[in-house]
Order: sequence, then C-alpha cells, then structure tokens
Amino acid sequence: MVQTPRNFRLLEELEKGEKGLGSDACSIGLANLDDISMTNWTGTILGPPHSAYENRIYALSIEAGPEYPVKPPVMKFLTRVNLPCVDSEGNVIPQELNALAKWKPETTMEAVLLSLRKFMAQPQNRNLSQPSEGEMYAN
Amino acid sequence: MALPKRIIKETERLVTDPVSGIIATPHEENLRYFDVSLEGPPGTPYEGGVFKLELFLPEDYPMTAPRLRFLTRIYHPNIDRLGRICLDVLKDHWSPAMQIRTILLSVQALLSSPNPDDPLANDVAAIWKENEPLAVQTAKEWTEKYAM
Repeated sequence: MVQTPRNFRLLEELEKGEKGLGSDACSIGLANLDDISMTNWTGTILGPPHSAYENRIYALSIEAGPEYPVKPPVMKFLTRVNLPCVDSEGNVIPQELNALAKWKPETTMEAVLLSLRKFMAQPQNRNLSQPSEGEMYAN
Repeated sequence: MALPKRIIKETERLVTDPVSGIIATPHEENLRYFDVSLEGPPGTPYEGGVFKLELFLPEDYPMTAPRLRFLTRIYHPNIDRLGRICLDVLKDHWSPAMQIRTILLSVQALLSSPNPDDPLANDVAAIWKENEPLAVQTAKEWTEKYAM
C-alpha cells in the first residue's frame, strides 16, 4: 500500500477545505499560514439541529503532531461545551470518542469533527444543558 | 510492497547521474518520498542558497504528477508561504513522459525566471511587479536568512 507522507496528507486536507469541497457543518484551517510544519489547526463545528447545540458555532484547536496520521490529532474545544467526551478544560478525551479511540490513518481531521457533531446529536447528549453562548475556556 | 520499475529506474539514475545542483534522496521507509536539496541558480537572488524540498510520487504516478513542496522559506511570486509551487508541469501540463528530474529542472528554471503574472503568493507578486529591485533585494535577504 502506498503511504502518503504526513505533509502531503495534510496539504490534501487543507486543499479540500480551500476548494470548498469540505462539509458545510464542519471546517478546518491552518492556525498560522506561515507554519510550514502544519502542526496547529483550527476547527469549527456548527451545532446540529434539534439539539441544545443548534445554531451555535464551536471553535476547536487541533494539533497534528509529527506522527500524524499514524497517530490521531489532539483536539480541544475553545468554546465551552457540555459533552461527555470533553473534559473540564475543553480537551476531547480520545478514549470517549470512537473516531479517536479506534483511530485509523485514513480518518481525517474533518471526519473527527463530524463525529463530534454526531455525538452531540445522539439522544443521550442532545438535550444536555449548555453554558451560555459564546463562553470560552480559560487560556 | 513492490515499487514500480519505472520509479526504481528513475531513482537509480538520480543517484548515478544526478542533475547539476540538485540532490534527491528517497526515504528508506518510503521509497516514493524524497528529500530534495536544490542550489539556487547562479545569477539569481537565490544564488548561494541551498533550498530543501520534499517530493512524493502518488500511487498513480506517472499518470499523475509528483507532489512537490519547498521546506525552506523562499521569496518568490510562484511559491506560497507553505512552500507550495505554482508550476504548469506539476498541474495541467504534466505528462507521463516527464520524470522526477524534469520536474526538478523546471523548479530550478522557475527560480531563474519568476512569473509574477501567474502568482501563487499575491503579496510577493504585487511587489515584484511594482518594484522589482526591492523584490530581488528581499529575495536575496530571505536566501541569506533561511537558505544559507
């Protein structure tokens, strides 16, 4: 099997977004356009309809380390959220989210965001009481 | 995982008969992935610099072009801040008759003749068109700062 090296894989993910081929509900972009190592990314999730998250935009920071995509990205919510797979500081707990717990190198950062969105919409999560809109985690 | 004969042959030739000013070395764990170093062509603002690039041969190579990116910062209207290169032979004008060496020679040629009318780095291209001496001076400074 041909293995795409990290940097070209990340360029593919970036270009999918730049060309507007990504999902409407989630997006990713580089945090710093001068970052030739492409380590730090930002992500957004549009809260799913018919849930406590509806009409809210959630911002996340995403770190694609040197071993990405063999190892999964590290994700953290910047916007406050009450969701069982997110700890009190906003960190996404990898063991609690299938897309990260059962990580495969084919999974993209966008796919993880979409799975978080799906997780929000699940019956046990969709009516959880949420912090007021726009509240952010410290630092 | 068998490497296509074509890639093996190209790699061998890059080693035994290298292109002047260019070294391309495959990664041991991924023979489709190359570290490239390219000397700035004489008589250009890049002269004296050694620029690092990475090159990858996708699964359907040579039906599609190699992927190529600068890892060393460079001030050039057709190369953006992430090192991506705007070069026709890497896109629509790729043909399977071309090779890794052809592409690397094209990149060397691009350094000798920047094309600010088909820019990838718009800010750089604007300065290149409005004030070429300033652009050349900046390119020289970047070469000294990042590529030496």
